[in-house]
Amino acid sequence: MKEKTIGIFFDGESAIPKEIEVFFDIEKSVLVFETENNQIHSWDLDGIAFQTKSKNTYLEYGNDPIQNIKISDDDFVNRIHDFRKKEANQSWYHKLMDMGIKAHIFFTVFIFAIIGLGYFYAIPWVAEKAVIIIPEDYDSHLGSTFFEQNMLFNDVDAKKTKALNLFAKELNLKNTKKLKFTVVNSPIVNAFALPDGNIVVFSGILNTMKDYDELVGLIGHEVVHVNHRHSMKMICRNLSGYIFVSAILGDANGIMATIGDNVNSFQSLSYSRNFEHEADVEGFEILALNKINPKGMSNLFNRLQDKEVVTIPEFLSSHPVTTERIKYINELIKTKPFQYQENLKLKKLFLAIKN
Amino acid sequence: MEETLQTPTDYQLEFNGKGSEFFSVTIVNWLLTILTFGFYYPWAKARKLQFLYGETSLNGDSFSFHGTGKEMFRGFIKAILIIGFLYSLFFLFLYLKLPILAIVILYLGILALVPFAIHGSYRYRMSRTSWRGIRFGYRGNRKEFSINFFKWLFFTIFSFGIYGSWMSINMRNYILGNIRFGDVEFNSDGDGGDYFMLNLKGYLLTVCTLGIYAFWWQQKLFEYYINNLSMSKGDKEIALNSTVTGGGFFKLAIVNILIIIGTLGIGYAWVVTRTMKYIFENIEMEGNIDLNLLSQTEENYKDATGEDIGDFLDMDFVM
Repeated sequence: MKEKTIGIFFDGESAIPKEIEVFFDIEKSVLVFETENNQIHSWDLDGIAFQTKSKNTYLEYGNDPIQNIKISDDDFVNRIHDFRKKEANQSWYHKLMDMGIKAHIFFTVFIFAIIGLGYFYAIPWVAEKAVIIIPEDYDSHLGSTFFEQNMLFNDVDAKKTKALNLFAKELNLKNTKKLKFTVVNSPIVNAFALPDGNIVVFSGILNTMKDYDELVGLIGHEVVHVNHRHSMKMICRNLSGYIFVSAILGDANGIMATIGDNVNSFQSLSYSRNFEHEADVEGFEILALNKINPKGMSNLFNRLQDKEVVTIPEFLSSHPVTTERIKYINELIKTKPFQYQENLKLKKLFLAIKN
Repeated sequence: MEETLQTPTDYQLEFNGKGSEFFSVTIVNWLLTILTFGFYYPWAKARKLQFLYGETSLNGDSFSFHGTGKEMFRGFIKAILIIGFLYSLFFLFLYLKLPILAIVILYLGILALVPFAIHGSYRYRMSRTSWRGIRFGYRGNRKEFSINFFKWLFFTIFSFGIYGSWMSINMRNYILGNIRFGDVEFNSDGDGGDYFMLNLKGYLLTVCTLGIYAFWWQQKLFEYYINNLSMSKGDKEIALNSTVTGGGFFKLAIVNILIIIGTLGIGYAWVVTRTMKYIFENIEMEGNIDLNLLSQTEENYKDATGEDIGDFLDMDFVM
């Protein structure tokens, strides 16, 4: 069976168009045509590149020179197309292209869904896990940079700082890094941990405490943030959205700016719910390990929440305390076995820190 | 049965691509790029260029882009190796506690890649473009171009950027002047001084009119580029002439912005095809070269490294 049509042949040597009659031999799957001087050309169908360009079909054959036949006869082209489809000679790309506009609109929705899911779930998760590849030196570097810049303008209380460090020394905090505590005289009700092991406590939060077990609760909680590199993880998470967007838009400069922004906000860097939960659970364990009454932890949170009515303590905005969390700690107190005994040394030091 | 078709004496340049077709090309490319974690990118680029070139026609016959994903993937790997080498030098010197030297080496290295990438992009793109089977070609000399590039760059820096106008026009003249379309030569005769005045006037008027003049500035620039471009073969010539208008650019830009905003970016494909259509509709060609008599003179060149370095440096050199 043979099909025929008229085409225009370009020989790849000159731009002279030559009108030819093209025969398509289905059995042999070749294209046959004749040019000047009765020269017969036979093109193997597998070696032909089919392209639809500007509503005409171009058949390209050979490498150097590339020869071309331009065919405007749609029926003929469709018949070859169907034949090749049957022979499964189509690339993935062409199969997808042939699926039509409805499928393509569906692809669009699919792509947007992937981008959305990636942005809100996958990327932050990966970023958080990627902290492993960031050397701990970098945490220390960022932390001490912040510390040096900020403590310069703060009123550090040397006496209380010394007492607080002694207080912490009495405790087994399961810390992986050397910890250094600093007390700053300020009405701010806050405490924060820097990734290098510096923990800053404002006298404002110390003044709201009634008992030393509350201070141990606070320290235990902050130490867990340091041990698990929570602030670095949050930076990576916050950064991930930016990296994602800039990867799409092709802008890398902003990444450094974002690191800078985050470093400046260590003090109010808001931890995720998971990190707070982790810090609560492990903080509780630290209290139990040191034979301190874990009620101190829930007492502290209760007190901070009561205070919220008047002024919102900064501690709450960086460590969002929810009724859920307090409930959970109370649950732990009820279910987990623990023993505690009065620690006179800590009690004495606590009084020194408060006054 | 065979006959030589009638020689056209006038030239018709057209872009026939439809937005919906380009949309399909773009979406399928995106899908495959996402599913392959980005590795499809060189193939996607080839498909995109094949579409855009193929939908552009001269006297009813389409241009072709013959570049393949495979070629560009090879170039991509080479580009990664070259840029990776620069970065490893950078980190080596950082490690040796020589941060200033490290930065200088990185920046000079990247700067040295620029003429290399421009040269490579043009050689690749031109050699892989054809019309009626006749290849384009770029015959610039890499060494000559690089020396000129750094000379012009030096002047630009020491004139606090004023020489920049001359630099860009000189580059244009050199590059476009070395383009061949079979045995037809391209010529570009821009002048840095004219270009400088054009931009100065454009800038001042744009500021005075709160930005509205920008479209007319764009028109003048486009006219300047196109009207200074010509083709020659022996004593025969084709002159190019722009018929764009500031109003036309204004309308094009406003509608494009509305499409992008209205479709949340999905209409990008239509923006591209509308823009291409407008540009090709407004380039006139006049002259006496018989395009049927073009002959194949340019060699094949399949190394896409320059093209891919250009992608890395986020530059699109080919005009």
